[in-house]
Amino acid sequence: MLKMAVMIKQVPDSQDITIDPVTKTLNRSQARNVVNPPDLNALEAALLLKDKHGGEITVITMGPPMADVALLECMGRGADKGILVTDRFFAGADTWPTSFTLASTADYLGGFDIIFCGEETTDSSTGHVGPGIAEFLGYQQATYANKVEYEEPYFIVERDIEGATETLKIGKPAVVTITLNANVTRRPTLKKKIEAYKKGVTLVTNKELNLDPNCIGLKGSPTIVKDMKTVADPVKTPVKPSIEELDKVVSVLVEKGVVK
Amino acid sequence: MPDYDAIVVGAGNAGSAAAITMASKGLNVLLVDRADPPGAKNLSGGVLWGNDLSQILPKWQSEAPLERFIDNKKIGFLTEKSSITIDFKTKYFDENKVGHTVLRAKFDPWMAKKAKEAGALVIPGITVDSLAIKDRTVIGVQESGDTITANMVLLAEGVNPRLSIEAGLRKPLQDRELSVGVKEIIKLSPQKIEDRFNLSEGSGMASEYILGNLGELNIGAFFYTNKDSISLGIVSPMEELRKNGVTHTYDLIEMFKEHPSIAPLIEGGTVAEYGAHLIPEGGIESVPQLYGNGYMILGDAAGFAFSNGLVLQGMNYAILSGIMAGETAVRAKSMNDYSAKSLSEYEKKLNNTYVLKDLKTFKDIRKVTGNPKMYTVYPQLLEGILLETLWERGQPKKKVRDILSEAAGKMNMSKVKTLTDFYNIYRRM
Repeated sequence: MLKMAVMIKQVPDSQDITIDPVTKTLNRSQARNVVNPPDLNALEAALLLKDKHGGEITVITMGPPMADVALLECMGRGADKGILVTDRFFAGADTWPTSFTLASTADYLGGFDIIFCGEETTDSSTGHVGPGIAEFLGYQQATYANKVEYEEPYFIVERDIEGATETLKIGKPAVVTITLNANVTRRPTLKKKIEAYKKGVTLVTNKELNLDPNCIGLKGSPTIVKDMKTVADPVKTPVKPSIEELDKVVSVLVEKGVVK
Repeated sequence: MPDYDAIVVGAGNAGSAAAITMASKGLNVLLVDRADPPGAKNLSGGVLWGNDLSQILPKWQSEAPLERFIDNKKIGFLTEKSSITIDFKTKYFDENKVGHTVLRAKFDPWMAKKAKEAGALVIPGITVDSLAIKDRTVIGVQESGDTITANMVLLAEGVNPRLSIEAGLRKPLQDRELSVGVKEIIKLSPQKIEDRFNLSEGSGMASEYILGNLGELNIGAFFYTNKDSISLGIVSPMEELRKNGVTHTYDLIEMFKEHPSIAPLIEGGTVAEYGAHLIPEGGIESVPQLYGNGYMILGDAAGFAFSNGLVLQGMNYAILSGIMAGETAVRAKSMNDYSAKSLSEYEKKLNNTYVLKDLKTFKDIRKVTGNPKMYTVYPQLLEGILLETLWERGQPKKKVRDILSEAAGKMNMSKVKTLTDFYNIYRRM
């Protein structure tokens, strides 16, 4: 029986985001929150393994209390447990303390055979966190995977390496990040969602993890956003060619044999 | 034993009102909605008259995400170059603050949250597949092959009631029972809104127009102020759009926005959202059998919306029908009887409220609102009278009587038909 985790993030729906021209920050206030799309592919990869080999899936997210609905959504699709890592000390984290905190959570939960992540988030697109978790935990890792199979005691991972597929055989425990649209995600069902909402999620705070305050949240984040520039839309000048110019274009096209 | 006392399908105003009514009386309630957050896909013109809401949520005026309270209501005609409106601004509205503009994408999730606080289990993001029926009794809902059972299913599934129709609980909808609303939300700063519409902080304006500038097309329009945006749109009977198959609704809304008296009001604003929705306007004739063994039909799904040419309301009808259905369910539970006979209490209750009374009183209103002259001749006639009386052009003045008979002659109006029209308005509106 496989012990699996899926790391997810609640992100603002990218369709609804604008950039504030004054503060140059992302304006997310109007945006609906959704599960980061490739994270749903990561969940599906875990569900496919569970369908075949059995096992237990724990979905983990770090975020504010309202992020519980993202976990419940995943449980509605078939995950068994939801863990919400939430504490004001974790707030403002960049990818380093995020990876560190999530890795520590996995450790606190007794470790996993395999941890799935989405390839990257739609709201920051770093792709750091999956590999970061693997490094902090000392797990094997495979990134940008389209497919994961299990042949005890190995995972067979197909990686998308742009134009080719690389197949890896990696041992347990492992972190695998899954590409967007790697698989067809299943929909949540009413019955599973009812079970999820009745069960609820489990909170993990820094009381449980007991991490050094200098290594978490904003304090533990080495990244500083210095500036952000918005680029104005290019000015489009409509072209109004004369008949002579059009004739010239046509004659060139005829000459080249494009039109007859 | 069934999983729930009641399953409510749809977290709109009707569904949430019913869920709150039942859950606060200790019933075990499941409220399911297709959107996440629940109710976020709902859309309406925008003014909520909240008298009934006080019954179940006494603090709604301070807690709900409301936009502006209406203290100024306008109704009128637009012709190609003119706007003729009655502008009603009153301290009565001001003192009571029951009419509010709302944005349903914010308001409905709030109401669903209140249902959750009352004890209902609220599940968002799920579209129910079908009703579960056994021995001519609705026993629950089906989704992804699972059956979730309940003593009662409250169908608050909205204007396009797929579950009720597929289960044969009501007939498929006909064109004549529906209107199409098309709406835009235009962002504008609160300061600009208050300056342009002569409003104070928090107060708002709601207006409804008959569009007399679109030929024979029977089109109404609305224009409401929100906190930092304008809701505007057009409403057209489905039959009209079919008849005039060449005119697109998005062209109609553009024509409304470009009207000389509307364009300056939205100048400098940016379109933030747009949407379209069906409106049940079939009146009492399209209200289905409202209850049966194990089920009740609520809100838009039951055709509970009201339009008489002066007002277009639905949210208050939805809320009150939700409360009545909820109370009926509480009574049914206390008697442990969920038969059609027990649930017939729902219709009895509605018969004593404005929900069914209004629909009965105005059963022939289409004879007025469907009269093409309301959209062609009469706006022009009014404009003609006003031009003759209020526009000084260095011509000898005429009596209203003469202006009228001249204009009527020009427009080929028969005196008898005109008198019949006015009699219809007098009798039915």
